[in-house]
Amino acid sequence: MGRDKKKHVSQRDIASRMNFLFQASNLMAAGNQAKLAAYYGKLCRNVGTKATMHMAPALKRFLCRRCSLPLIPGVNTELQVAGAPKEATAPDAPSSGEAETKKKRNRRQRKKPKSKNSGNAQASEVQVDESTERISLFLECSLCSGRRTFSANSQRDCWLEQPQSVVQVVSFAEEID
Amino acid sequence: MEHATSDLKEFITDLVIPHQRCNVNINPDHITMLEGTKIKKQHSRKRRAHKSSTLSRREYAALGLNTLPTKQMKYEEALPLHHLWQGYVREHLELRKGDQVLQVHDGRYDEFSRKLVKLDLHGAKLKVLQSKCSTLEGLTGICVMDTKNVLKLLGKDHRLRTIPKSECVFGLKVGNMEFTIFGHHLKIRPAERSVKKIKSFVQPFM
Repeated sequence: MGRDKKKHVSQRDIASRMNFLFQASNLMAAGNQAKLAAYYGKLCRNVGTKATMHMAPALKRFLCRRCSLPLIPGVNTELQVAGAPKEATAPDAPSSGEAETKKKRNRRQRKKPKSKNSGNAQASEVQVDESTERISLFLECSLCSGRRTFSANSQRDCWLEQPQSVVQVVSFAEEID
Repeated sequence: MEHATSDLKEFITDLVIPHQRCNVNINPDHITMLEGTKIKKQHSRKRRAHKSSTLSRREYAALGLNTLPTKQMKYEEALPLHHLWQGYVREHLELRKGDQVLQVHDGRYDEFSRKLVKLDLHGAKLKVLQSKCSTLEGLTGICVMDTKNVLKLLGKDHRLRTIPKSECVFGLKVGNMEFTIFGHHLKIRPAERSVKKIKSFVQPFM
């Protein structure tokens, strides 16, 4: 128990340092100091790797993967929204769609062969999802011109961002005593 | 690349008896160049493996991220950073208003000093108290960059100055507490500072 608490305390100053560096990096990016912003972002990431601490995935995605510049769309980043490349908007959607659903139904049957009747309804649901999930965001960093793509589908969120993943909420105020 | 291998193919087919030349079939993968150029396939495979992952050190330096321009940044632009840093220090050292420097016999002294060493200096207002180089003495500024051997201070005259750590003694003011930092003991990479184990006793060098 005591060891556990000690670990919490030792991680805390690193967390506050990373927090400070991240904020500093954002501040510099907003003030048009791209180099310094990238430097602080890189440092924030390095401190995390040295101390084997993870950033929250949303924050991690906020930094450019190549140069660690915080990507703020409209200030230093170009944001594009693009739809499906070819398959979802194809004119012969019904036939191909049927084929796809058939495949999926087969797969599902292999997993649990009992639910044959519900398979049809589930397949149609899946099809609806596919049309929306193909929309993706493209971010282009201004400093290193690296590009990143994120799919704009809320159902395929990272596990840490889903509400089921939260086990316990620890606030700093409790730890101070 | 292409024309190099095509020359080679032509040369090889010329060696064959004329009425069997149409049967010659050369697999370009089987050609190995002994000098200089590589076959297209080998080349492209290598290039694809490197594309768009993280930046290499050389690319990073080519973007100019290891250096900062000397005269572009204004002192006023660094002030918000300093305010942010003040908040960070208060959180990091768990200070309250009107705190004094702890005495040596205080129970929290050890922990406090350990935290102090691990403090991040980006955004701090530093002053050079002593130095082997007399021109550096008395310089003040907001620390903008911190590398293993050097601090970059942005002075009030909008100039970025590079100051070596090893030869200087720095003064740092937090609220109404003043600290003296021997630069000699500051010589750690900033990313490693928060992890490194610190000796409980070190000798001042000046």
